[in-house]
Amino acid sequence: MKLFDPTSKPVDRGLTLAPRPASPRGLRLGLVENTKFNAKPILEKLAERLGRRHQTTVTFRTRKRSASHEVDGDAIKALRAQCDLVISGIGD
Amino acid sequence: MSGIDEATDPAALIEAYYDAGWTDGLPVVPPSDASIAAMLAVAGLEGHEELGVIAGRNAVVLAEKAAINAVMAGCRPEYMPVVVAAVKSLCAPAFAYHGPASSTGGSAMALVVNGPAAKRLGINSGNNAFGQGHRPNATIGRAVRLIMMNVMNTRPGLLDRATLGNPGKYSFCFAEHEEDHPWEPLHVSRGLRPEDSAVTLIASNSLYQVYNHLAAEPEPLLYCFADALANVGTSNLLGFNETLIVFAGEHQEVLQKAGWSRLDVQRFLIEHTRRPVADYKRGARLPGEIAPGDETTLRYRFERPEDILIAFAGGRAGSWSACLPGWGTKWTRAVTTRIEIPGGTS
Repeated sequence: MKLFDPTSKPVDRGLTLAPRPASPRGLRLGLVENTKFNAKPILEKLAERLGRRHQTTVTFRTRKRSASHEVDGDAIKALRAQCDLVISGIGD
Repeated sequence: MSGIDEATDPAALIEAYYDAGWTDGLPVVPPSDASIAAMLAVAGLEGHEELGVIAGRNAVVLAEKAAINAVMAGCRPEYMPVVVAAVKSLCAPAFAYHGPASSTGGSAMALVVNGPAAKRLGINSGNNAFGQGHRPNATIGRAVRLIMMNVMNTRPGLLDRATLGNPGKYSFCFAEHEEDHPWEPLHVSRGLRPEDSAVTLIASNSLYQVYNHLAAEPEPLLYCFADALANVGTSNLLGFNETLIVFAGEHQEVLQKAGWSRLDVQRFLIEHTRRPVADYKRGARLPGEIAPGDETTLRYRFERPEDILIAFAGGRAGSWSACLPGWGTKWTRAVTTRIEIPGGTS
């Protein structure tokens, strides 16, 4: 008798992480809000503190349909084009 | 086939599946080349075929892996088309798998089977429809959960973050009782033909039973359901809900004798699940102090009649029915998928 592996590994889509910035100073920020109850206040507070301490600027905001859904394609394109650093948060 | 090791002792083989972390906590049926092939054959599938993709997880469900898990769950080969339809429902964009599968809410994946296949396979729709004792009910639902764990990477403590979970997470599958149905069956109400067989998937928090032994008219009976569906501790209040209500025998008779339609029931429940904003603020389910007008401002729980799914199952005796509360229409939607069987028989 054999042991049959019932599992699957995620398919490799060749995705790699973007290079990490050495410092947040002066970067363009993107905010991804997932609609959770406190997500927006947390993100805005983070953005405000980063702006005050590191002179970052929020250049793009997007709101997902729900926490269950992916960021839509147009928003991904805008984040790539307009932002150096993207913050996505979950808050309840 | 992806056989990776050999053993000769069945008990040792079962232990090997435990050791590998591939079970749901219950012993599994060790698959063989023949049993996997039989699963695929009945569904008319090749092992390499894709049944679906879970977006965001890069998880592709191959037929072979689904078949292995179905064997492990104890399915007979003829159940495989039902499992395949359930997997397709899980992968449907409208279901939005990630939230209901991963959330702290710990939903069960409730499967309602309709049409000729339900009867042919002996899927229980009668006494103890949600309970133990019927192989297809127990193993089809179990196969779906094993596929979620093993193929869709939804493991407890990792991408399954259920705070408590619920027993329906082991398996939750039943058939609708279509004989003596007062209306069209569930799958027909969702756009399929009566001669189709189908699986309706809904992510359900723990079901709660609703009891009423005295109501002889629909209004008092449904008032009990409305109260259950609008409880202050209900899940999400930020949007509208979806729910599955399962009426059993004596309650079905009350609706039937009164001549109420599906839409009559849905409309009644939409109106009677409205609840004052003040109630939700008292329970800190909505933020802020109670303001003038909150006692009389009513908050809706359901937006559209079709968001209240209704099925009939269970014994003919007893005054019990059940609500299977859904997850909110913003996050996920119930999905009905036709069961495809080679040769065109559904």
